[in-house]
Amino acid sequence: MSWDYLFVQVTNGAVIGVIYALIAVGVTLIFSILKIVNFAHGDLYMLGGYCAYYVIELLGFPPLAAMAVSMVALFVGAIVLERLLLTPLYSDATERKDEYGLIVTFGLAYFLRNSAVIAFGPFPLKPPSFIPGVQRIGNVIVTNDRLVAGLVGLALIGGLLYFMKRTIWGQALDAVSQSRDAAAIVGINARRFNSFAFGFGAALAAAAGALVAPIFSLAPDMGVLPNIHAYVIVILGGMGSVGGSIVAGLLLGESENLFTAFFPDPTRAFAYTNAFGVLVLMLVLMVRPQGLFGRRHLRME
Amino acid sequence: MRVKGRWHVTVKLAVLLAAIVMASSQLAGTPAKAADPIKVGWVGPLSPPGGYAEGALMKQAAEIAAEEVNAKGGVLGRPIQVVFADTRGKPEEGTAAAERLISQDKVVAITGEFHSSVFLAEMEVAHKAGVPIIAVDVWALKITAKGYPEVFRVAPNQALIAAKYGDWMAAAGFKNVAVVYEKTDGGQSGRDVLLPVLDKHGIKYEVVGADPASTEFTAQIERFKSHQPPFDFFMAFYSEAGAYPMVSQSHTLGFAPTARTGFANSGGPAVDPTFWKNVGQAGRYVVTEIVGLPKNAWNAKTKAFVAAYKKKYNQTPSPQAIENYDAMLVLADAITRAKSTDGKAIIAALEKTDIVLGRGRYTFSTSHEPDWAYHQFMSAPVALVQFDKVDQEAEDAPIIWPRDIADVKYTYLKPGQ
Amino acid sequence: MRWLPSAILLVAAALALANAGRLSSYWMHVAIIAMYYAILAASWSLLAGYVGLFSLSHVAFASIGGYTSALLIQWRHLPIPVGMLAGVLVCGALGGAIGWVCLRMSGPYLAIFTLGFSEIVRITISTEDDVTAGMAGLHTDGLFTAATRLPYVYAAFALLAVSLLLMGALVRSRWGLFLRAIREDEQAAAASGVAVARCRILAFAIASGFAGLAGGFYAHYIGIMTPSVGDLDEMAKLVVMTVIGGMERLPTAVGGAFVVQVLLELLREYGQWRLPIFGVILLLTMRFARNGLITPFWLQFLRLGEARVSALPAAPTLPQKEPGT
Repeated sequence: MSWDYLFVQVTNGAVIGVIYALIAVGVTLIFSILKIVNFAHGDLYMLGGYCAYYVIELLGFPPLAAMAVSMVALFVGAIVLERLLLTPLYSDATERKDEYGLIVTFGLAYFLRNSAVIAFGPFPLKPPSFIPGVQRIGNVIVTNDRLVAGLVGLALIGGLLYFMKRTIWGQALDAVSQSRDAAAIVGINARRFNSFAFGFGAALAAAAGALVAPIFSLAPDMGVLPNIHAYVIVILGGMGSVGGSIVAGLLLGESENLFTAFFPDPTRAFAYTNAFGVLVLMLVLMVRPQGLFGRRHLRME
Repeated sequence: MRVKGRWHVTVKLAVLLAAIVMASSQLAGTPAKAADPIKVGWVGPLSPPGGYAEGALMKQAAEIAAEEVNAKGGVLGRPIQVVFADTRGKPEEGTAAAERLISQDKVVAITGEFHSSVFLAEMEVAHKAGVPIIAVDVWALKITAKGYPEVFRVAPNQALIAAKYGDWMAAAGFKNVAVVYEKTDGGQSGRDVLLPVLDKHGIKYEVVGADPASTEFTAQIERFKSHQPPFDFFMAFYSEAGAYPMVSQSHTLGFAPTARTGFANSGGPAVDPTFWKNVGQAGRYVVTEIVGLPKNAWNAKTKAFVAAYKKKYNQTPSPQAIENYDAMLVLADAITRAKSTDGKAIIAALEKTDIVLGRGRYTFSTSHEPDWAYHQFMSAPVALVQFDKVDQEAEDAPIIWPRDIADVKYTYLKPGQ
Repeated sequence: MRWLPSAILLVAAALALANAGRLSSYWMHVAIIAMYYAILAASWSLLAGYVGLFSLSHVAFASIGGYTSALLIQWRHLPIPVGMLAGVLVCGALGGAIGWVCLRMSGPYLAIFTLGFSEIVRITISTEDDVTAGMAGLHTDGLFTAATRLPYVYAAFALLAVSLLLMGALVRSRWGLFLRAIREDEQAAAASGVAVARCRILAFAIASGFAGLAGGFYAHYIGIMTPSVGDLDEMAKLVVMTVIGGMERLPTAVGGAFVVQVLLELLREYGQWRLPIFGVILLLTMRFARNGLITPFWLQFLRLGEARVSALPAAPTLPQKEPGT
């Protein structure tokens, strides 16, 4: 195999890795504040994609504006869901919050996925490209849509990091994620941040859905695989670590691409690509049950 | 205490079981009256994880067929009613659906299905009950090879389809073929039939399987691109949603369809109404099969159906839709000739079917040579077409194979020519 | 009068079995499938409800059990019951191994780990199609050759009864107490001398063994195994059933499986709507009646034995914590 081929695969792996990371960041954000793994994240991502699609098709918005509309819509929608379903997580009367969060988000995923078939129809849909065409660097061919998805994704993650570190709201959010009690002592209303974090995570998922829609097309069950990818990333990157998600996203994108490219048995290489990421996830969990770079989070109780 | 508790455990589900007994004795079907509609069952995927997009198209066509029959006064003086059962692409749900159609809804026959593995479960139920079942878009050889008298197939099967691809590739002069198939029953059996044909023609190939949930193919396509000697043809067996990103990515990465490498997808999505919206430019030069009559051979029935379908659903019917439409009419015709809704009588009438419908003249073989020929619509039309324009409907695309019905001089249009 | 609920159940079971032959073939099928899910739901509630191990690989074990049995019979021409037993043993051993591997994982991490495991099982089965026949489906021999489904009804009933007896004995033994203690507070349980590791591994092995049993039965009933038997959609269905019934007790989990499976069939006319409906019911159950919808009825039913006719105690509608049955 030539260096050229390796370069092609590494570049493509990086682009897809950023897209994976964008999906995973929302999972991590929600986990860091609410201390639950959102099993419905892939389905929020699916909803975000469809929402952007309909904003483009029915209201005639340009794709990036549609993405913004979709983010706002999912932000609001997710807060409503959070108010309706997740409030028992904050009550002292609720036992075994882990279990409650798991089952509720799992059930939400089941509901959203099966409703989507009815609401959006079974046919794959594809919104128009952000920018049609491709970029060539030597032998590497990357579509503009992938570049847009990667760059906007990076910008969103960068914006999130800036927000967390530099703004008063973001610092408060970070404080809540580190210690709810300490945050409460300094006068932060942690309850409000639960809604905010869930909505924010959903908005990031919506952005991811809108960004990949022109690349992969929209289908009601499109969220299943990215959901699993997101878990691989948050486990690798450490639950609750935004920076870790980017590193782990790139790592996953690269390793999957290189696995497909260099696994000696071509007949099986591709079929096992998805299993490969999952295997990495399981191995990491076996060695470090709290994730690769994870700081150990205190339980909510 | 422990003995008592165990007591509870031993018998606790009995109340629930009893409830079911009672519920079901209420529900056990009431006998059909003469004035009631004749019920025909339909099975197929209408929700994930099945191929629900194709299922929806087939369902629409079955509805049109039933409306048409009823507008003409129905069958045996009774209207026809189609009872639809979603199988979700799962054998267990297929068994339940077939059981329900037969023992609760008292259907006289069943049509439909898109997944071979599910149909194989359904036909066991139909076989035990002696109810005729017409396979609409399932291609596995085993279905007719089992030799059940109740089972008929209007679809072509893998041997009839994949062999055409192999022969065509040899005729078009391809030497090195990359084969990707999705890990579904359709993709798998396509591969199983194609590879021996390629061997026969001395065509080299590399074959790769893919998880049907995958939509990211970049790494695999780059791997194909770097293959030495270069692949001159890319054959995909995709019947579900992954087909669209596959076509798009293969094209944008400059692999296929290009001047160097041709591209074909077998399995249906390329003739679906949403194909062009999803793949755009990438779909030009793609080769695919149509399992209906080519447009130049359309008869009055085909034209009437296409017009009716376009009017009702505002899109062109897919080949699966025409298959299901015809299957319903084949059945209505058989019931009319049988002058009865008895299973055996309908089967006897089906065997004598000789009727011209949307896909030509229907007859069913009664020979067991080869084993899959039994009750197979042997002359089921299969044509390979190649899109030469963007947004071209499959029915307008030039037919390149088989040569006796081809409407262009070339066997393969190389991109860029 | 403590024998009253038991007696009612026994009589009802006898009546149901005696009349099973009058069911239409379709309702026999529904009953058989419901019993398949009931074994899965009961064994999953043992894991998730009793020990608090929210495993998402339970249907994957059913799939492994089914394939193990089907393949062994294909290769070695074993009698079907031996094949099914082998499936149980393989699943038990594998389940124990998974239990051991994820000893240190808690709640969400364990869920993700087992989700990963079930994906790997599904992908492997569909990829290695020269062995497993992949999505085209592996054909299996039927347990019985009779043309009717009645023998399967009895067989499924027997398997369910035996499974419930064994699991019931387990949860009412000293071990059952340990398992519950782990769920409430693992550290406290360990501190008070419960062999947490051994209990968790044991629970995983036993529950997986029963899943393998259900899967083996399923394989030799439906006659075809596909990788979708163990996919996430099936797992979601199992969670829906168990939680709606009540995941903290074996009988309510079993009841959930029956009720949901029967309702799914009755709601067939509503086509695609029936699945989201159950999603909503699950969410409402979790939100407002976390112990499950069948649990209050079950507790009321058990009280039949204790109640004086004059002073029937008013049961709290949703008891927060009740000891097991």
